[in-house]
Amino acid sequence: MQPDTTADALPRGNRLGHLIAQNIGLILAGAILLIAIVGFIVIYGIEQQRLPGNFELTSTVNSAVPLVFAAVGQCFVVLTKGIDLSVGGVVDLANAMAAVTMGKSLASALGWSVVILLVGAACGLVNGLLVALGRLQPIVVTLGTLSIYQGLAIRVLPEPGGMIPPAFTNFLVNPNAPYALIFIVVLALAWSAFRRSRAGVDLYAIGNDEAAARALGVNILRTKIIAYMLDGTLAAAAGLFLAASATAGDATTGNSYTLSSIVAVVLGGVSLFGGRGSAIGAIAGALITTLIVNILFFGHVNPLFQSFYEGVFLLIAVVVGGVIGGTIRRRPK
Amino acid sequence: MNQDATRRAVIAGMAAGAGLAAVPRSAFAAPKKFKIALSNSYIGNEWRIEMVNLFKAALEMEPYKSQVEGSYFNSGNNVSQESQQISGMIAERVDAILVDAASPTGLNGIIQQAHARGILVISFDNVVTTPAAIKVNTDQFKFGETLADWVAKKIGGQGNVIMVTGVAGTTVNEQRNKGAESVWQKHPGIKIVNRYAGDWDSATAEKNTAAILPSLPKIDGIWCQGGTDGVLKAFIAAKRTPLPPTAGEAENGFRKFMIGYMGQKVDGLSIGQPPYLVLVALELARRILNKTYPRRDITIPFPFVTDATVKVGQTVFPQMTDSFFTDFTDSGPNAVVKIGVNAALHGTPGPGTLTVHLPKV
Repeated sequence: MQPDTTADALPRGNRLGHLIAQNIGLILAGAILLIAIVGFIVIYGIEQQRLPGNFELTSTVNSAVPLVFAAVGQCFVVLTKGIDLSVGGVVDLANAMAAVTMGKSLASALGWSVVILLVGAACGLVNGLLVALGRLQPIVVTLGTLSIYQGLAIRVLPEPGGMIPPAFTNFLVNPNAPYALIFIVVLALAWSAFRRSRAGVDLYAIGNDEAAARALGVNILRTKIIAYMLDGTLAAAAGLFLAASATAGDATTGNSYTLSSIVAVVLGGVSLFGGRGSAIGAIAGALITTLIVNILFFGHVNPLFQSFYEGVFLLIAVVVGGVIGGTIRRRPK
Repeated sequence: MNQDATRRAVIAGMAAGAGLAAVPRSAFAAPKKFKIALSNSYIGNEWRIEMVNLFKAALEMEPYKSQVEGSYFNSGNNVSQESQQISGMIAERVDAILVDAASPTGLNGIIQQAHARGILVISFDNVVTTPAAIKVNTDQFKFGETLADWVAKKIGGQGNVIMVTGVAGTTVNEQRNKGAESVWQKHPGIKIVNRYAGDWDSATAEKNTAAILPSLPKIDGIWCQGGTDGVLKAFIAAKRTPLPPTAGEAENGFRKFMIGYMGQKVDGLSIGQPPYLVLVALELARRILNKTYPRRDITIPFPFVTDATVKVGQTVFPQMTDSFFTDFTDSGPNAVVKIGVNAALHGTPGPGTLTVHLPKV
């Protein structure tokens, strides 16, 4: 998905081809998601002699939400040709703060949620300033801040514990019905609005060619800082969802979200070279990542080989996506 | 507990040459069999491998062979993945779930859901905090306290001691440290000259010790939560010999030093978090499902040896690797459980029935 003004200028027959070529990552992600859903239902049906019901749908959605938010956050930064390794640290920090502060009432939980989201935004601001103002490499900056945020999280909650009000859990990740899907839909809608905004267009411009974007008057500093702050906020939201489903806090449970958010983004067809892909793809990628775990579980794959197969699936998806995407993009010329 | 690279387990698994092997499920499932699933958060170190092997071996031994249909899963120390796998177990409508958790709190939500659906959940080793799960463990505070007590007595309440701690942010690490602190407070003559993480991993403990040792004065005693053999190797490399009295975990390498290894011999106390906790959890699940034992938490004593009581072939194995955990079985007349070394190494069932002694009701 590039900001394209060229599409209108193309002859009619080529327009569809152009549209497919521009969105190939997203289309492939959708296809893989479809395969994953069908695969899960088939394997589940064979193993359990029945179809997945409300419990399976609800628990899958609830497990996926934190990753969906972390992946969309990661997506903003990846679109600027950056990468955020500190996602896991922000998730940890939000998780730890939630467990320590929320207490027993829903009102205090919601109030503190706002504070925690702001802390996430502040974490993103630090990353953004160092990357954009300090002109430092995102991978190095966020590797450093990852340790800092993890350290702060352990400081806040040295030993797993604390508590999350049950009402907050029911609000974010209701165990009885897949209401959490609403948050995913809202996130997708918010993304569509952002995509059409000035900042959204600038984001893609920077990712495609920073020098050209600067020459065209794009405010690089501002746009990058916005991207990192949105990323931090969404990572903090992921931490809140995680704390809610655990019903308590642990300052280390978020660590895995750094890698899995990158995996989700890549599976979702977002290019690590920046400027190509969308948050809708990242959402699909997060759902695929979650479904793979389910498929391996119900397929009764030997536990020793689970991470092996996760890696294989990821590589196949990326290689196939790259080959098909490359072929289609080249053809219309 | 015990963190390490999962990579190692994957490579070892691939070297074993197996492919897409299904988890062993019983050939014919008699309707009466209890479905018991083991959710293991992590398989990257030998402790967890031994633990899972013991579980596999027990499933092939009576009374479990005819009463239990078992399965086991591993989640790469990833809380959300383990939570998802437990959801899967709920969907499979198992009778009981045994959990070695990636986080003491991270799984509370899903365990409460399992409990609400009438599934028996027993957590062991890295236990969870929710009352919805029954707990089987050793006393981690006492673990740290006993190690510290021994060091304090050995050095006469006077001298420089280092503390090598475990993985930060975990309950086990905090409890063991608190246990130790409670002892140091009673001995003003003992000075804790440094305290650093060994992460329950011999390689990490060795690396961190090597980095910190040049800045330290003469060390009179070592208190180590895990990775003990690594700490001692770093002392030897830095020519800090003879080795000071050491209280540590049950690594085979540490116990080799107790009988003489790499030209050194150490006075030591070695306490193990026993991998057979899984067998106690399994037996408890079987008994509760059979309604022959009440639903209640169990704390078992930890097995320990000193340089005076260590026995070749029983509590130390010179021909085996240093990272092997030697406390896979209990010993003595009041043993909780006795099982052979091949069960721990390869998951091979032993002869006869397997008897696990739960505390008297």
